[in-house]
Amino acid sequence: MAQMEITKDEINAVYPTVAETIADALGCDIGEVKPDASLIEDLGAESIDFLDMVFRLERAFKVKIPRGKIVENARGTLTEAEFEQKGLVTDVGLAQLKSYLSEVAADRFRTPLKVKDIPRLFTPETFCKLVIAAQRQGQAAA
Amino acid sequence: MGDHFSAFSFVDRIRDYTRRGPHARGYFTIPDGLTAFPSCLVAEAVGQLASWVAMDHIDFRGRPVAALALETRFLRDVKPGETLELGVELESCDDEAVSYRGWADVDGARALELIDCLGPMLPLDEFDSPLVLKERFDVLCGAGAPAGRFHGINGFHVEPGVLVPGKSATAKLYVPEAAPFFHDHFPRRPVFPATLLLNEMIQLALNAAGGNGSGTLVAERMTNVKVRSFTPPGQALDLTAELTVSGGSAIVASLTARAEGRMVATAQVDLSRRNG
Repeated sequence: MAQMEITKDEINAVYPTVAETIADALGCDIGEVKPDASLIEDLGAESIDFLDMVFRLERAFKVKIPRGKIVENARGTLTEAEFEQKGLVTDVGLAQLKSYLSEVAADRFRTPLKVKDIPRLFTPETFCKLVIAAQRQGQAAA
Repeated sequence: MGDHFSAFSFVDRIRDYTRRGPHARGYFTIPDGLTAFPSCLVAEAVGQLASWVAMDHIDFRGRPVAALALETRFLRDVKPGETLELGVELESCDDEAVSYRGWADVDGARALELIDCLGPMLPLDEFDSPLVLKERFDVLCGAGAPAGRFHGINGFHVEPGVLVPGKSATAKLYVPEAAPFFHDHFPRRPVFPATLLLNEMIQLALNAAGGNGSGTLVAERMTNVKVRSFTPPGQALDLTAELTVSGGSAIVASLTARAEGRMVATAQVDLSRRNG
């Protein structure tokens, strides 16, 4: 399925609520939540926190965000086989990931990159994109 | 069968449930002989009804475990001999997680409400026999289980720590190595129930808030409950309660439970004074 590019304006529109939701879920000050901060490495998020953030974002934006969809969204139009091989992100997959996670500094993409380590790259902006994708999907279904 | 389906089981019968539908009602009669039945066990009863229905939804491949409860409202105390009328509405349920809301009524009056709960699903056979649970589910949806199976829970060894009245309190909770409820929660993998842990955390908040002022201090609402990991038998937990808002009749406490420094659970509780 082709994905439309997500604009900065769209991200800016949802960011304040996303940041507030992340601060609530992590029990941290909203000032600590920066658009490009690593949720795991900078804000100490664990897997349960990702579940919490998605759950709260669904309520805040009245959208349905299928759990486990974050990596799938990041994969874009690539098939699973094109994106990863034996648990490692392929070269073409890495290029797609860098494009999707454009807010993440290049030096944070380690190579080889394990698929299970992709969430270490996620930032508040990643969750903005997730919300926007869910909003678009909701509008398309309406 | 021993303690299985009795030492920590709080649904006697499930009714008004259409297979794989989002709604279910059920009930549990609190045995007469108990001295008390804390609100945390009322919440457990609602959660167990949701859990039964969620397991049925995914054909008993997985079971939900306590993880997130954004809000729990404690509306009135319940007493031994009363019957909890339980209700749940599943918002979503799949092999990953179940989200739901639920409530317990007594004599038509709401006693407790759970709002925005989410439990991740884990492989059921790690915890219990799927076949045995399926058979039990059929019993609960049919004639129901006999009442009076639950015989209460012995108090836990809690070592008080530092108490700063009106500000904070710490304590060490020693989870027992053995207890009847571990045979029910769960037979193949004993886990200290999160609701019992939260009950101890609330008690600590009540201690921290202290006896200043008139009326009885009670927990009114618990928010942002997040259970990060399982607590096995024999684990010692460091509990803290820190009052974050304390003015007039409203007191809010932030609660944590840690095992060897690692965060196990967090929550907030709103306390208030009830007169009379």
